[in-house]
Amino acid sequence: MNTLHSASGPVDRTVVVTRVAEHQWHALEDDQVVGRGEAVRRPDGRLFVGVDSWHEPVFRKLAAAMLAELPRPLFTVVDEGDDDLTAAWLVAGFSIGRRERGYVLPTDPRVSGLASVGPPSGVRIVPAGAADTDALRALDSVIRAEIAATVGWQTMPVEVLHRPHGILAEDLPKFVVAAQGTEYVGLVRLVTATRQPRIGLLAVRADHRRRGIARALLAHVLGDLHVRGTAAAWAEINEANTAAAALVEGAAARHTSTNLELVHQ
Amino acid sequence: MSKTNGGIEVEGTVIECLRSANFTVELGNGHKILAHISGKIRKNHIKILPYDRVLVEMSPYDLSRGRIVFRYR
Repeated sequence: MNTLHSASGPVDRTVVVTRVAEHQWHALEDDQVVGRGEAVRRPDGRLFVGVDSWHEPVFRKLAAAMLAELPRPLFTVVDEGDDDLTAAWLVAGFSIGRRERGYVLPTDPRVSGLASVGPPSGVRIVPAGAADTDALRALDSVIRAEIAATVGWQTMPVEVLHRPHGILAEDLPKFVVAAQGTEYVGLVRLVTATRQPRIGLLAVRADHRRRGIARALLAHVLGDLHVRGTAAAWAEINEANTAAAALVEGAAARHTSTNLELVHQ
Repeated sequence: MSKTNGGIEVEGTVIECLRSANFTVELGNGHKILAHISGKIRKNHIKILPYDRVLVEMSPYDLSRGRIVFRYR
């Protein structure tokens, strides 16, 4: 959430950084805005900062001003290949917290190899919009409690948000569910509002893992997208989550980028 | 084209996604520039894809470079 891409221009500058709002800073040179800094609190409570400037000295001044006034910990996100920006934040005192890989998943079953993948015996897939609201909310609560009690939300992709209020009514059409009997045991949330649909959360209850349920859910949502004429979907995975990476890579997903989440303690 | 306090903003079309979150953007006048994504775009996890119509803030120091500040739906 920040940019630092050097361009030729004046080097000796008299830049003044001003806090213009609670979470907003401007770098001014001769009354012209030459850089901006911003902080945003994500729904999980973490504070993310970003700086837009054309010159490294301006970036440094903005970052220093923000760091002096904001509470810790602070976070920011950079593209792994953006060496200049990464180096600038590291110099400012940030360190790499984790890596998040972005994947493009083909939906064509002939490409993904998921054509013959179905749920394990005794498990059925409940299509999007057909899930029972109360059972889905109960499953969502169980899965989110498991995450909170084990790996923690800080290890999840930034798009997998902690939602204190649980699943809202308008969210229901986004969920495909795996059911065993009357009980829901796994879910996938597919966000289709974007031009490239994004798999927002794919999770199976801890006591039902290693049965192929996640793979069956993935096969279902990708196959459904293919039928509707969508060629690819998008997913983000924490690099440390080797099981999730293996799942999508086993479906011919292509790793296209990696974001670094940097943290300043 | 519009002028903001950060520089000139021009509409364009993404024609190529490069590494390091950089993009080749063709402006309305046919010029191609190298653009990166702004903090606001990254903050909101807005994905930029080829053929997207975008608003680019031009660098006041190098008119071959810019920053994507908005993606049109």
